[in-house]
Amino acid sequence: MENTSVQISCKNLWKIFGPKGSTLVGTPETELSPAELQEKTGCVVAIRDVSFDVRRGEVFVVMGLSGSGKSTLIRSLTRLVEVDSGEITLCGSDVVKADKNQLREIRRHKVSMVFQQFSLFPHRRVVDNVAYGLEIQGMKKKERYARVDELLRVVGLSGFAQSYPSELSGGMQQRVGLARALAVDPEVLLFDEAFSALDPLIRREMQDEVIRLQERLHKTVVFVSHDLDEALKLGDRIAIMRNGSFVQVGTPEEVVGSPKDEYVAAFTRDVSRAKVLTARWAMRARTSTMVAPPDSRIVSESALLQSVLPLVLESDAPVGVIDAGGTLVGILDRKDVLAAINYEPAESAISLNSTLVEGPQRTEGALQ
Amino acid sequence: MTVVTEPDRPIELNEAPTAPPERYQPSALAKLAKLGPWPGLVVIVLAALVAGVATGITAGFPAHWVTGIQNSFDSLANWITVHQTSAPFFAHFLTPLGSWLGDCVIWVSDFLNFLTWPGVIALFVASSLLVGNWRVAIFVVIAMAYFGLIGLWTVSMSTLALMSVSVMIAIVVGIPLGIAAAANRFVEQAIRPVLDLMQMLPAYAYLVPIVLLFSIGNPGGIVATVIYATPPVIRLTMLGIHSVPSETIEAGKSFGSSRMQLLRKVQLPLALRPIIVGINQVIMMALSVVVVASLIGTGGLGDPVLQALNIVDVGDAFTAGVAIVFMAMILDRIVSAAANRIGRPSRALSLEQQHRKRLQQGAILAGVVVAVIIGTILSGPGGFPPGWSISISGPVNSLLTWLQTHLYHYSSLPIIGGTSNLSAFTTLEILNPLTRIAGNLPWWIPVFGTAALGLVIGGWRRALLVAAGVMAIGYSGMWSDSAITLAQVIVALIMCVVVGIPLGIAAYWWDGVDRLLRPILDVLQTMPAFVYLIPVVLFFGVGNMAGVAASFVYALAPAVRLTNLGLRQVRRDMVEAGNAFGSTRMQLLWKVELPAARPSIILAINQTIMLVLAEVIVAGLVGGGGLGYDVVVGLERDEFGLGLAAGLAIVIMGVVFDRLTQGRFVRRLPA
Ligand SMILES: Nc1ncnc2c1ncn2[C@@H]1O[C@H](COP(=O)(O)OP(=O)(O)OP(=O)(O)O)[C@@H](O)[C@H]1O
Ligand SMILES: [Mg+2]
Repeated sequence: MENTSVQISCKNLWKIFGPKGSTLVGTPETELSPAELQEKTGCVVAIRDVSFDVRRGEVFVVMGLSGSGKSTLIRSLTRLVEVDSGEITLCGSDVVKADKNQLREIRRHKVSMVFQQFSLFPHRRVVDNVAYGLEIQGMKKKERYARVDELLRVVGLSGFAQSYPSELSGGMQQRVGLARALAVDPEVLLFDEAFSALDPLIRREMQDEVIRLQERLHKTVVFVSHDLDEALKLGDRIAIMRNGSFVQVGTPEEVVGSPKDEYVAAFTRDVSRAKVLTARWAMRARTSTMVAPPDSRIVSESALLQSVLPLVLESDAPVGVIDAGGTLVGILDRKDVLAAINYEPAESAISLNSTLVEGPQRTEGALQ
Repeated sequence: MTVVTEPDRPIELNEAPTAPPERYQPSALAKLAKLGPWPGLVVIVLAALVAGVATGITAGFPAHWVTGIQNSFDSLANWITVHQTSAPFFAHFLTPLGSWLGDCVIWVSDFLNFLTWPGVIALFVASSLLVGNWRVAIFVVIAMAYFGLIGLWTVSMSTLALMSVSVMIAIVVGIPLGIAAAANRFVEQAIRPVLDLMQMLPAYAYLVPIVLLFSIGNPGGIVATVIYATPPVIRLTMLGIHSVPSETIEAGKSFGSSRMQLLRKVQLPLALRPIIVGINQVIMMALSVVVVASLIGTGGLGDPVLQALNIVDVGDAFTAGVAIVFMAMILDRIVSAAANRIGRPSRALSLEQQHRKRLQQGAILAGVVVAVIIGTILSGPGGFPPGWSISISGPVNSLLTWLQTHLYHYSSLPIIGGTSNLSAFTTLEILNPLTRIAGNLPWWIPVFGTAALGLVIGGWRRALLVAAGVMAIGYSGMWSDSAITLAQVIVALIMCVVVGIPLGIAAYWWDGVDRLLRPILDVLQTMPAFVYLIPVVLFFGVGNMAGVAASFVYALAPAVRLTNLGLRQVRRDMVEAGNAFGSTRMQLLWKVELPAARPSIILAINQTIMLVLAEVIVAGLVGGGGLGYDVVVGLERDEFGLGLAAGLAIVIMGVVFDRLTQGRFVRRLPA
């Protein structure tokens, strides 16, 4: 049952660039540091034994420093980069085993991609850029233009159909890129650092646009980014990538609240934790002995710590945490909140983790 | 359970649809521009109709409009001939210049003579060894032995002498001009249009005026070569200096270098490699002109080819043609080796290695001296011993006869018969009808037709320029001869495009094809235009088809090269985007790669058409007819008026072709 909702499934993917890279898969050589491996074999491990599933309607963000293999990974999903070993299932099709025609069908109908450099076709007008995917499927001009009209309205660019990409600003160009990807009504959308080339304000605008669209369209999204704020804002789950491997996969709360190691911690250090963690994250789960706090001191479990802080700090007494149905699920006091907010990774990681992971809800929907 | 947990997003949602970005408000002018060239085209069509009604359906250009320009040219020529000794411009400038140029050639020839043939060969071998390697040296020995053995030593040496003098002058004039243009915007602006024009003209077009001014002989040949070869030297120098990265220049400036210091110590040393690489091309271009200049009485390797072609003795033309190719290859190998050497960072050598290297160099130079001494003792100064020459015309002729029987004569090949049939067919069924159509269209159709093309391509000024050009050809009385040339150019261009662009695509798709084509194209691009006439005459006989075939072979290389290059330069991420949407290879090619490579492909067509024109003109020598033949007639029968008018028509045609294949629609794509 769970399986039917999995849209993208990758198992043990490997990609090693360089001379005879594929022969190195799984050998002890790959355990060498990147510099040593490069020195010895001239190869770079871009994807190292990566496995993950993405469910229908989920936004899965892949984060990592430059060169960690994000682009390679997202491209391998449609075999724009050929992997060396592993399995990829995309909307029920085996991508790795697909022949040329099957692969083309997958690319035409199932998946679309939005690119970092926009990668619009400079010789085509906006309409024909957006219509590209439909055009190569053989859709009639009238039909595809009608669809493009609608899409341009969706991304707020009606009236620019006849412009050339070079006449548009960066943000507008990426709206075209987005419309082009949406035009074929794919089940899966791939974004490769789609907004990194835009300035911060426009970037935020585009992120909001994606959220707005996602609420309507419920696509399955893989979003590559190196911007943690973006990842937290968009991601249902975030995978942190380093030297080709996934270091940690989890919800924004998990990644920020309990980074698995120094690398992830360093990534999340500058995030304002109160803006990411929820009451549910910091609370102590309900026990039979627990006394329900008064109605004036009740917060929703999905409330951000930031918003419950004033109430919690008001007095020493704990605050009650209720779920969507109004049932009390736990309590939260000043100490709990401060502990969650002032998380210090180095020495407290283990202890904090062990106390926090106690709540039964927490493991659900985490790493699978 | 199939719960898709609604993510608790730690952010506020922006419910309002994002406001559309501000609209771009077109101005009135921009609105007009949006209409494109249509209003202009309507104007041109109306003008054509008015002109048509006014002058009626004429066959070609109305005869009574033709000006007496040819007669004026003739009287000008007469005046020059009469005043050659008396007018100050001649007496005090051109005549001394001419005799000085002649002296230069004599000095170089004397020097080569002094070296004797073993000395010359030793000198070339030594240069090959110093800048290149043994392979180059061995090739040089074989090629130069060929000059001697087939009895062409003396003419080879005169070609060499002419070349050396011309290239030296081109460099001595060109590099300072290039530096001046790179340093000074005004100089650049003054020079650039001249360079543009010079680069478009086939050398052939200015042979007639040169003969008028310098009369026939070496001086004229050198002037023609220098005119042809100097512009690229200037361009290369400018390019080389401009290619020095601006950070490097800033670094130089930050140390407080003066402008001269900056130039001498930073820019010129760094520009040296591109300049030397370019000199290689210049040498090749010079060679191609030096050979053609045999037409105006310079000696050298072009002469035997010319004489042989005149009596359609393909065997002799062939042996001399091979000598020209060898000459080109010798110079190309040595100069490119030198360019490579300069480009390579020199290794630090140990003292012992340095010592050994110096010894080697000394030995090589000593070898040259010894060779000179031996040569002088053996044969005295001068040429290759005649007794050593072998005649290869026997085997060459039997090979050619074999080729002729198996390829040329009809029914020797399946389907097409023989190349002679192909030639006859193309001439009768394609070239002649096309010539008739081009020559007999009422004048206003070509005139306003080119204007319309010009308008679409480059706007009103372009339209006026090209239309004026076509009119000028008519006025000069070259209308019907230009039609002959035009027909050949069109057919050869179509062949180049139809064969060259697919080959370029194939080389882009398959690296194997690229590797296979590369050396072939290299050779094709090294050979002087003239040489192509020889095999062409063998297969197609003299006549129009020879011009078409030679032009096709001559101009094919850039069509293939630039197409391949243009496709390879298409941004990879765009190709990837095309792939990501599931394009087939053909869809990717037609919808993404070719449109994105359009500027290069149009450049390819531009280059191809210019080369085709140049070669069609040269093919006048083998009965190609048209303007090229008029030039030959003008030179051989002293019909200067005809020759000058034809030269002028060639220039105009070149400019019109160039302007029609360059412009707005080439540049519209952002980089
Ligand atoms: N075509 C290729 N050939 C060889 N090596 C490659 C190739 N593409 C990527 N690599 C290498 O693989 C590693 C991963 O590259 P990738 O582009 O996937 O990183 P990335 O995480 O997307 O980085 P960025 O944030 O800079 O885009 C890098 O070390 C890169 O140098
Ligand atoms: Mg990347």
